[in-house]
Amino acid sequence: MNSSSEQGDPTIKRLIFILGVACLALFILAGCARKKREGVLTFSVGGAPKEVEFWETLVGDFARESGIKAEILRQPTDTDQRRQGLVISLKAGKNDPDVFLMDVAWIAQFAASGWLEPIDEYATQDNYKKDVFFSRVVELADRFDGKTIALPVYVDGGLLYYRKDLLERFGFKRAPETWEELVEYSLKIQEEIRQINPDFYGFVWQGAQYEGLVCNFVEFAGSNGGGIILNGEKIEVDTPQNVEAVQFMCDLMNKYKISPPSTFTEMKEEEVRSFFELGNALFERNWPYAWLLHASMDSAVKDKVGIAPLPHFSSGRSVSALGGWHIGISRYSDAKKSSWEFVKFVTSFEIQKRLALNLGWNPGRKDVYIDSEVLKKMPHLENLRDVFENALPRPNLPYYTQVSEVLQRYLNAALAGELSPEPALMKAEEEIRKLIERYI
Amino acid sequence: MRDYTARELRESFAFLMPLILFVLVFILIPVIGTVTASFFRDIGFMEKRFIFLENYKHLFHDAGFWQALRFTVLFMLVSVPLEIVLGLLFAVLLNESFPLRGWLRACVLIPWAIPSAISARIWELVYNYNYGLANYLLSKMGVSDQPINWLGSGAGAFFSIVISDAWKTAPFVAIILLAGLQAIPEELYAQARIDRTNFAQRFLRITLPLLKPVLIVAFLFRTIDALRIFDLVYVLTRGGPGGATTSFSMYGYKYFLAGDFGYGSCVSVALFVVALALSMFYARLGRWSTKTI
Repeated sequence: MNSSSEQGDPTIKRLIFILGVACLALFILAGCARKKREGVLTFSVGGAPKEVEFWETLVGDFARESGIKAEILRQPTDTDQRRQGLVISLKAGKNDPDVFLMDVAWIAQFAASGWLEPIDEYATQDNYKKDVFFSRVVELADRFDGKTIALPVYVDGGLLYYRKDLLERFGFKRAPETWEELVEYSLKIQEEIRQINPDFYGFVWQGAQYEGLVCNFVEFAGSNGGGIILNGEKIEVDTPQNVEAVQFMCDLMNKYKISPPSTFTEMKEEEVRSFFELGNALFERNWPYAWLLHASMDSAVKDKVGIAPLPHFSSGRSVSALGGWHIGISRYSDAKKSSWEFVKFVTSFEIQKRLALNLGWNPGRKDVYIDSEVLKKMPHLENLRDVFENALPRPNLPYYTQVSEVLQRYLNAALAGELSPEPALMKAEEEIRKLIERYI
Repeated sequence: MRDYTARELRESFAFLMPLILFVLVFILIPVIGTVTASFFRDIGFMEKRFIFLENYKHLFHDAGFWQALRFTVLFMLVSVPLEIVLGLLFAVLLNESFPLRGWLRACVLIPWAIPSAISARIWELVYNYNYGLANYLLSKMGVSDQPINWLGSGAGAFFSIVISDAWKTAPFVAIILLAGLQAIPEELYAQARIDRTNFAQRFLRITLPLLKPVLIVAFLFRTIDALRIFDLVYVLTRGGPGGATTSFSMYGYKYFLAGDFGYGSCVSVALFVVALALSMFYARLGRWSTKTI
């Protein structure tokens, strides 16, 4: 039926040829576009839009001061997505990014994978002093295999925020020091305030199924003498102190009802912060970043907020989970010297001070905490110094994030009422044990 | 093959080349690569080693994996029929003539056109315990004075996700089925009306049988997509509470995130096998159904 000519239609053949050449040209161009990055320092950072904008300014200043061309590779806000981007580049051994920020929770994973460049030699060459940083933080988080592989940009520790106006109004002289006191204050004040604001709750904290839940758990359990215990090659979580702590976390929602039922479904940092900031809570457990936001112009609790260390169980002492972000150099970087200059820049006194003043971050350097200008804007930094000196890090294991994943699941199941605290912790410990078998 | 000239064969092959290349590069090679990767222990901080089926052995004993499998399969079994039924309903309605039909057809597509991550965010706000639309409507209608914690229990979260997914994808099914409906010759219905049949008889004896091939396609698409669900689960529940709504993809994702590419690949291969088995089942079903017609 078909009567195609011997040669085939010349117009169509020409069209296909042109299309093929166009595709080829596109591929070549795409390949060329990469080459321009050589010689430029690439810095990977993410966070809230305001934060990333500020980093753009900083990088611009660095480029001007040092003469090194630098540019930012923007990342999303979520810590897991930032890690995702970095894991992909580092696993492939790419040159970019040269330098990046890491959440303290996954430094160990990166270090054990051999992706970080040790900085001890650069530091000795430039006579760079590492003792200006919180020594415990550097010792516990930034060292691997006897080498220093990162430096703190800012540190975080869990804190108790409270409505000092409400405590005053109802005759409480100071912030609660034990969890019993916290429950007592909350019940009393909640009863009164609920008459005008039925959505008011005593205590908001992070209970959703994510890393933040483990931070909260470490604080509750740690303040009872428990926590995630490393025993040789075993990880223990099924201890009586932990069971008591998890039971208390459940009781906050179900027995005392001072925490909202949505605690374990949606409460993460920002949800908790806005809940408190709208004036609907008496106590809040959150990171220090919330302070500046609570004190901002459009906050309903402006000038009404106080900060204190977290409460503890009667037999324990206050424990704050160590958070924060650190800066590291990629082992595959093609601009290691420039990267080191950038690291020195970011961890310098001036820049750390600017980070504190502009973003409300708590610097990794101790000397910024006694600067008068900083103290004027963030007076609570004085108390925070102690908190950070003693903050409890999460286990510094390369496979910590997987352990955390298992723990998150079972802790959240306990909070949801699907499992009781004891079986939940027992199952978590069992599953962690099986998980570790693959990594030894 | 004997009917074509050598030149025609060469030309047809040239036309097929892009597709073959595409399938090879974007489908075959990655699949083989993933299967190969699953035979290795490949974690960032340990040396890469060939361990053959050891990952699979661990997978078999992995409680988290079975939980993810249970959720994903259950989700597929519940949401796919729901979406097909809803889609069929919309398609039949949209097949009738009425004013503004074209406009309504376009509107119906909007949920499907919204990127899934964004619509997941919207649903997150709807299901929010304190100020979500769902609880607001319930309290306004006087159904319950206590707000419901939609995402707070395994069952609640499951059905919330099913509803959100059905909202998003029923339009897609509707459009596919609508195309199938329009291919059915109008004379058949005219004939049936003369023979004084009612709507149900016409639907069951004419519409459904002739729609079978398109229905199979819709079923296949939705089944594979349901098995792969990620965005909705990630945004709405992050896999909670207690891991009750962790889907297959999300489970594998967590391992890739941790740099454990060997085990993550293993999970991916498991999902691939399940999806492949179901596709072959549907293909068989399709062949059977056309034979009966």
